Amino acid sequence: MIKAGQIDKGTALLIKGQPFICVEREFVNPGKGSAFVRLKLKSPATGQTLRETMKSQDNAEDITVEDRDCQYLYNDGENFHFMMTETYEQIEIPMTSFEDYQFIMKEGETYRVTFWEHQPLDIQVPAKVIFEVAEAEEAVKGDTVTGATKNVTTETGLVVRVPIFIKQGERILVNTETKEYLERVNK
Amino acid sequence: MNIQAIGERSELLRTMRSWFADNDYLEVSTPILSTHLIPEPTIANFATQYISEFHGSRELYLVPSPEVHMKRIIAETKRNIYQFSHCFRNREQIGSYHNPEFTMLEYYTVGADDEDSIAITEELVVRTALAGTPESVLPPFRRMTVAEACKRYAQFDLDTTQSVAALRKEATRLGLSVPAQPESWEETFNRIFLNFVEPNLPQDRPLVLCEYPKQIVCLAKEIPGRPYRRRWELYAGGIELANCYDEERDKAKVEAYYREQYAILANQRSVSGEVIPDIDTRFPEIFDASFPQCSGVAMGIDRLLMLQGRHKTIGDLILFNVSDMMADG
Repeated sequence: MIKAGQIDKGTALLIKGQPFICVEREFVNPGKGSAFVRLKLKSPATGQTLRETMKSQDNAEDITVEDRDCQYLYNDGENFHFMMTETYEQIEIPMTSFEDYQFIMKEGETYRVTFWEHQPLDIQVPAKVIFEVAEAEEAVKGDTVTGATKNVTTETGLVVRVPIFIKQGERILVNTETKEYLERVNK
Repeated sequence: MNIQAIGERSELLRTMRSWFADNDYLEVSTPILSTHLIPEPTIANFATQYISEFHGSRELYLVPSPEVHMKRIIAETKRNIYQFSHCFRNREQIGSYHNPEFTMLEYYTVGADDEDSIAITEELVVRTALAGTPESVLPPFRRMTVAEACKRYAQFDLDTTQSVAALRKEATRLGLSVPAQPESWEETFNRIFLNFVEPNLPQDRPLVLCEYPKQIVCLAKEIPGRPYRRRWELYAGGIELANCYDEERDKAKVEAYYREQYAILANQRSVSGEVIPDIDTRFPEIFDASFPQCSGVAMGIDRLLMLQGRHKTIGDLILFNVSDMMADG
């Protein structure tokens, strides 16, 4: 058991016998009142989303999970296919549970996958990832407004809003949660 | 660092100061480091130690709001006053809309009640809004009582669920698991409110949610003959943006608030080991016959900037916020 206030993003919980992963957590103090925690939970098995608001002092049933290295192979539009690097065993994880991950994960790279009793619950992607700009619009001539931006597409298909000086082939650092451009990476 | 956000804050504060000056409000400046605090059991405090070879050492506190000092100024001046103040709340968890230190705008209007404060706040917001502010943050404000919201979104009658048992029954009907240990009316109310009411409040326009249950104890006047207080909260984009009281000025009631809330606070914190601040037991004395009718509004400036500038979190608006500083080690 843990206190609801200790639940963090990525905490695995058992709710009515089903494993859920916390994907969003926000604290609320209604009208200066005592602390509550507002959770968005996802069941990776079904893609089901659950919203629950608990008192920070309420008990919740957490489960012991284990992280393993898995190589991302490809997706078939429905599932991500991974290979566990220790056992070469292949696993599938429904894409619906991990919105936008197909535009963030790179084929062939190894990610930490969280398992509960052989069931994959979560894929951990780094908070900041370097991408290569695969497609970039040409900056409009004469557009010298400070802070002007344009869209580029990364090699993984992620569309990111960047400053106009970013060119095709350059590498950029992106926040994978907000999908926001952070900086240009010099070679 | 978000350069655009620095400009937005500067612009908003400048236009707000100008609006307050045009509308006969004095800008005041009260301490953020204080010898006494208002007793608020649900707000944890920061304490620090003043050290002096000559005066001895003494515990001082960072204020959770400038309320008590501002009311002392009203007692002396009988004038409309406002202040942009840094406020500190400990245990406040760090998230998209929270930082332990934040900027609060507090404004008190003499001769006004909570109803007048709605119009004043609408005027202030519309006159000072940054260019490009979304409609969901602009007047006209919708209005709804807490009882109406409970009926609409949680299908129960707040007038007839005034007992702990009756409210608990509604919580169970709604599928909430209320712990076996007895819970106060307020705690169960907050469970229902946060799970069923608040997430469903309309967000196309700001919403003034008014007439809060009297069981939620605060320094807002009670409505005679009905179990509610003259208090409203302004919601915009689904989050709490401002809180308004028709300020209690009955000395006996303020004294009772101080005594009872301090007892609850001291009792809870002697168990948890948290800071028990000194309180100024003479504060209620300012509420003599000459203390004017007034209504006060406290508005979260970081949140307002977040909504007006379409930022996702207050992280961009609070430079060097605690979350970033902790991440940097």
